[in-house]
Amino acid sequence: MASLVPCPHCGARPKEEFTIRGAALARPRADAEPAAWMDYVYLRDNPRGRYEEHWHHTAGCRRWLVVTRDTATHEIAASRDASLDTVGVKRTEGARS
Amino acid sequence: MSDLRITRPLTPQPALRGCTRLVSRAIRLEALPEGHVIQVLGTPHAPLAMERLAPLSDGAPQAVRAAGPGQWFIVGDRAKTHAELGDILAALQPEAFGVDQSAGRVRIRASGPMVERMLAKGTAVDLALTRFPVGEATTTLVGHIAAHVTRIGDEAFEIMVLRGFAQSLWDDLARMSAEFLED
Ligand SMILES: [Zn+2]
Repeated sequence: MASLVPCPHCGARPKEEFTIRGAALARPRADAEPAAWMDYVYLRDNPRGRYEEHWHHTAGCRRWLVVTRDTATHEIAASRDASLDTVGVKRTEGARS
Repeated sequence: MSDLRITRPLTPQPALRGCTRLVSRAIRLEALPEGHVIQVLGTPHAPLAMERLAPLSDGAPQAVRAAGPGQWFIVGDRAKTHAELGDILAALQPEAFGVDQSAGRVRIRASGPMVERMLAKGTAVDLALTRFPVGEATTTLVGHIAAHVTRIGDEAFEIMVLRGFAQSLWDDLARMSAEFLED
């Protein structure tokens, strides 16, 4: 059994239950410059240290999560539902970090 | 609901035919009747209350199980008629949609004093009674197979799995139980 990832709905689960999508980035406006979309879709930093990623709890609650993970230590500082807050209320677009 | 009545002809034989009950003092593994399984898909940010769903079930304890935010399973041992299913699916609206999974998911009952130790070989979920009390349910991997696990008694669990994986999961559970079947 490998690394445990905390799911806000299910508790700590092995990483095998999840699918990783990659960096959780702010989505450009629909009419943003092509360069902004190029950056959003294709270009990635390769950070060392703590950053936010989208993880899908595929073999669990099937919710998309935002996991704050340290790429050097794999330490996970936080995990939250990508669109619900902690009491299950739908997060508004403006409240997303 | 669709007028197509495909449930029974699609599943002429139980998925776990030939999987005979495994019984010892320590563990007991048995395939449950392929009755009904209704998946309830609601909105995650405004989930339905258990009180709203319980009257739609056959009334057995733990007939309604949580399956992630806003989602539930309603299960039972007796097959529903097309009309009965239609009534339940209609009663869920407008807050939720129901999907008939009776032909799609299979239930296995595992019980006995060693059942927690047996299941712990396959899943990372903490199944201790204090952390996972009777009525608690979750989806997890059992080995490499995604399964929905419900505690139905102090020493009893139901494991629900997609039909195509039922035989594989049964074989895994039987192997996980082997050391407890020797007495
Ligand atoms: Zn989860």
